[in-house]
Amino acid sequence: MNTYKTLKTLTETPGPSGFEQDIAAVITEMWTPYVDSIATDRIGSLIAIKHGSGPEPRPRLLLAAHMDEIALMVKQVETHNDQGFLRITNVGGIDIRHLYGQLVTVHGKRDLSGIVGSLPGKMLPPERKDKPFGWEDLCVDVGLPADEVEKLVSIGDFISFRQPLRKLQGKRVTGKALDNRASVAAVTACLHYLQNRTHAWDVIVVATSQEETRLLGAYTSAYAQRPDAAIAIDVTFGKGPGTSDANTFELGSGPVLDLGPNVHPGMLKALQDTAKSLEMKVNIGTHSRYSGTDAFALQVAREGIPTGLIGIPLRYMHTPVESIDTADVERSGRLMGEFIANLDDKFLDKLAEGMMKED
Amino acid sequence: MNELIKKLTEAYGPSGFEDGMRDLIRPEIEPYVDEISVDAMGNLIAVKKGDGSGLKVMLAAHMDEIGVMVSHVTKEGFLRFTNIGGVYPHTLMGGRVQFANGTIGVVHSDRLTDRGKIHPLNKFFIDVGATSREDCPVGVGDAAGFVRPFIAQGSRLTAKSMDDRIGCVVAIEAMKKLASTPHDVYCVFSVQEEVGTRGAMVSANGISPDVGIALDVTGVGDVPEARPMDVSLGKGAAIKVKDAGMIAHVGLVKVMKQRAEEANIPYQLEVLEGGSTDARSIQISNAGSAAGCISIPCRYVHSPSETVDARDVEASINLLVEILSKPIAL
Repeated sequence: MNTYKTLKTLTETPGPSGFEQDIAAVITEMWTPYVDSIATDRIGSLIAIKHGSGPEPRPRLLLAAHMDEIALMVKQVETHNDQGFLRITNVGGIDIRHLYGQLVTVHGKRDLSGIVGSLPGKMLPPERKDKPFGWEDLCVDVGLPADEVEKLVSIGDFISFRQPLRKLQGKRVTGKALDNRASVAAVTACLHYLQNRTHAWDVIVVATSQEETRLLGAYTSAYAQRPDAAIAIDVTFGKGPGTSDANTFELGSGPVLDLGPNVHPGMLKALQDTAKSLEMKVNIGTHSRYSGTDAFALQVAREGIPTGLIGIPLRYMHTPVESIDTADVERSGRLMGEFIANLDDKFLDKLAEGMMKED
Repeated sequence: MNELIKKLTEAYGPSGFEDGMRDLIRPEIEPYVDEISVDAMGNLIAVKKGDGSGLKVMLAAHMDEIGVMVSHVTKEGFLRFTNIGGVYPHTLMGGRVQFANGTIGVVHSDRLTDRGKIHPLNKFFIDVGATSREDCPVGVGDAAGFVRPFIAQGSRLTAKSMDDRIGCVVAIEAMKKLASTPHDVYCVFSVQEEVGTRGAMVSANGISPDVGIALDVTGVGDVPEARPMDVSLGKGAAIKVKDAGMIAHVGLVKVMKQRAEEANIPYQLEVLEGGSTDARSIQISNAGSAAGCISIPCRYVHSPSETVDARDVEASINLLVEILSKPIAL
């Protein structure tokens, strides 16, 4: 598997939360050779199942990586001198500071390329200079007269960012939607790894929908699949100028294994043991309440699911220049693959025993 | 229909205290459905069976309204209170509220030193005419709703609690008009929407619908200095694409638009930046439902003078009937 190529395909495909059909189609093509069944569910999550070799009924592990990305939506169509402009709102956690000057695709009757524009600095009144933009200061311009825009664009049309994946130096890459296509790539690497390994458990691989808005796909797919254990994989904060020392991680320093209330300590221990057996360096991250990932939702589905959480360090989160080290993607894939290969019929008992043991 | 709107909007029913509303709605819907039941939280669930070829569709219109709850009675007989749902202090001053036992109270606040600035809610009080704790007809934990008569002027309809009694009216009128449907339609009159869409959450978990459609009010952008929004009074039923709590199912939005266009029902597309509806809870229930919302555009939401347009109400009823009469291809 060529990680850069995989990431390029994944990140450059649009997949706003709630509008995931294009990215789901791309991932379906990517995963089909590795799995026994694959289908999207009612709310747009992609669910693939790879059967294990153990005797039936086999325990089941669910791997969740969200495939949706933050995006924009058309709120109003506005006319100015017969030209059409789009007023916008956010889909997911948009940092308004990066919007001015972005290239976008408006998913109207057909895809239209556009830009996010505003007044240039020299035209701003003095009291507005050097101040962050508000939503009312921004508009999307697709370069068409108002009547054409009216024909092609409706209120509620999705707008995705258009940014190619680029190589930085070494194994670093930068682009949009690495949150969380980096993890989708890692899961793909895991499936690739499992081609040459047997595993006893069934593996349910889910590319979840609408994580950025409400963890929707994690809640619903975990309910529908009722797995025995689950792992969420998502990006986490990379170190850089201005970051604090706590809970930030150097790009290229390996997967981050999270400890905290959304995680079953036994799952963390098992992931750590797997890393040790691979002689892979990992980081330990912590969350105190809400991990901000699918793990939060997976954990409370049905009667409760022992859940682990893997993070890939990423800088400039929720911008079109999200940056990661591809080595972390490859390592996370290998770690999950080896973890799955080691799952046996004692695993759940060991998890339960671990919970009861007094140190 | 105005008679029904008047009856439902003027009735008492803050979140958690919907019994009276349920008793009012039950006889209105019962003749038009096959089964009717009430669950443990108090949701009224009216079921109209399909011919077996369709989906399980859940409708949700909430019976509850915002209100206030007494938190303390002073020794002089004044009531301090807290909010039930999104109650804003500036909508209360000089208004009247009514308790379950019929007691009416007038609302005022501690003296304003700066009339340009209104007090927070904890400096407001209710005067029910009592002179002491002993002769006060209501006490801590009693809930009250706004009092305000329904008025119709031209096509504009104003009342307290249009949110969401108008949604209840849409549900009732649509079930009346619905001759036959391929779908099993679960028409839920939900409780506790205003405090976190809690009634719809449990009814959706019980029903496990394929499709969930909330019937609720939405904001508008057509009043002075409004937050920019492309929904206006009188321009038709609003088909929700997104609100602050969810993104509607794109396939369901498409079906709704298609039905409206085929039947020449006026509609508008809604992107609401603040607030959400029962559809949010239905969407995330169990294994997930295709969720959407037919919204009735409404001015001055969460004030005692919520205003809608009769033509939009009509369009919403007709759109719902069209959607339920035909197969839903997601």
